[in-house]
Amino acid sequence: MTKVLMKGNEAIGEAAIRAGCLHFFGYPITPQSEVPEYLSKRLPEVGGQYVQAESEVAASNMIYGAAGVGMRVLTTSSSPGISLMAEALSYIACCELPVVVVNIMRCGPGLGGILPSQSDYFQATKGTAHGDFDIIVLAPSSVQEAVDLTIISFELAEKYRNPVMVIGDGMIGQMMEPVSFPDKEIGPPLDPGDWGLTGCKDRPRRIVNSLYLDPDLLYQQNIKLKEKFELIKQNELRFELYNCDEPYDLLLVGFGMMARICKTAIDQLKAEGLNVGLFRPITVNPFPYEACAEAIGRSKSVISVEMNMGQMIEDVRLANVEGKPVDFFGKTGGLIPAVEEVQDKVRESLAAMKK
Amino acid sequence: MPRPYRPATSLIIIVGNYGSGKTEVAVNLALSLQRQGKQVRIADLDIVNPYFRCREARETMEQQGIEVVTPPGVQRFADLPIVVPEIKGMLRPQAENVSIFDVGGDDVGATLLSSLAENLGDSPYQLLQVINARRPFTNTVEGCLKMKGAIEQSSRLSVNGLICNSHLVTETTTDVILEGVALARQVAARAGIDIAFVSAMAPFDQDPLLQAIDEPLLVLDRIMLPPWLRPSEKGDSSSRRLETDPAPAVKPIGRP
Repeated sequence: MTKVLMKGNEAIGEAAIRAGCLHFFGYPITPQSEVPEYLSKRLPEVGGQYVQAESEVAASNMIYGAAGVGMRVLTTSSSPGISLMAEALSYIACCELPVVVVNIMRCGPGLGGILPSQSDYFQATKGTAHGDFDIIVLAPSSVQEAVDLTIISFELAEKYRNPVMVIGDGMIGQMMEPVSFPDKEIGPPLDPGDWGLTGCKDRPRRIVNSLYLDPDLLYQQNIKLKEKFELIKQNELRFELYNCDEPYDLLLVGFGMMARICKTAIDQLKAEGLNVGLFRPITVNPFPYEACAEAIGRSKSVISVEMNMGQMIEDVRLANVEGKPVDFFGKTGGLIPAVEEVQDKVRESLAAMKK
Repeated sequence: MPRPYRPATSLIIIVGNYGSGKTEVAVNLALSLQRQGKQVRIADLDIVNPYFRCREARETMEQQGIEVVTPPGVQRFADLPIVVPEIKGMLRPQAENVSIFDVGGDDVGATLLSSLAENLGDSPYQLLQVINARRPFTNTVEGCLKMKGAIEQSSRLSVNGLICNSHLVTETTTDVILEGVALARQVAARAGIDIAFVSAMAPFDQDPLLQAIDEPLLVLDRIMLPPWLRPSEKGDSSSRRLETDPAPAVKPIGRP
């Protein structure tokens, strides 16, 4: 089909429509504001609903309500805005409602800056909010992959009735690349199954609620969520191996945009006769530990490359069952590690190994 | 063989929808006119989008003697509506000088122009709308005309020329460019204005089909690169280094 040139943020908006999501609640924040901008124009064209909430707190509770009544729904924000959505995400996870949230990460902490970062890895994968629950987290590395993963997010959210988050750094949201979309202009509506609050005429009423005063019932709900996540771990791991077919002495681990920079570094190092592999987790929660362990097993050492102060490195260490040396390279504050900086780190590491 | 673009006025204002390629075109146009012997000044009036603005190509342009007018200090990393006073001076046309204004996207970005309309007075200007036929909302004649109307309404100025900039970055083909030329010709005919020039990445300018077009041609070098394609800066390994010039603190309004 005909390719179009789109910004990551616009493409995520269009991908949601193609997945059949006609409801968006959100609040503008750089560098994701083109998602609401785009959807405010496009949703009325396709009979959808766009609401700019008064804050991210409101937007996150609006998606809670929309999902509760069986609507396919999206919200998007950037780092500080996602922090404000934390409470509602915990409620949504407890109530087992399908929602998709996109975080186009900017640099923090605090109000931070508007430039790209990957500093919300911990927030997305470990500590989204209070209580025991997990969300599925996907990390695209190109605009096309942002489209594909947004569509997959809705499928996963509905298959497991669980929140799904797509995390991209600011650059993924802002950069423009050619993309193609599924031919179907608008996906079919969500099936509210036996849980959606669709009106209880002629059937028993349903309740969407996260308050459990009976400890046994709340414990059972926690077990149910845990078992569900175990199933997700078994079925939904996604990752990419790059330049791992030939033997390599060093493995880089990077996600999202950083993986892209690593690939360029690897291609250029190959010309120098240095063979370096890349492991790119696409599901960062659940993290593909076994596949990562296998890739580390074939290497002498590992470098986790991230646009933060070292977050995913903790998962890399968990995957490092053989105890290989694990190093880190990263920057934050909106600074993007350059291709040469990654290469210098690789050369330094390889030279140290020879000593 | 297509002619190079020779501007009819010394004020060139570049508008268009988000991501139509305004900045890439503006920067390349500045470099091209400077090579033709003009003294060029370029102003970054993008108060909408905080990424990929022409201030990022500042060094490249300044090396060629182009004067780049952007917000000072760290404010240029912000998404704040800052217009520096030099802008108003740039609106007075001077012989042998060319002033290029790279305006933010859509009618929202063009709103800024309405506040400068008075300073413009009777000075002749070229208000050029960039069109990429592969972008959403401007892939049809109607879409382009709607965008034109919206920009004119918010800027209180009239679009009097088009820049045909159809491409798919790394996946551009001659067909993509020529489809764009066909669309821009229809838009120009409907609006009663001219195509100021067609822009195309090298080496597409060498394609005989593109050599055969009647409109002036601007050959583009890709300057606004994503980080994994930026050229090596040996001797300075820090990427996107913040300059250390002192600057007033930025007080954000709402959520920047």
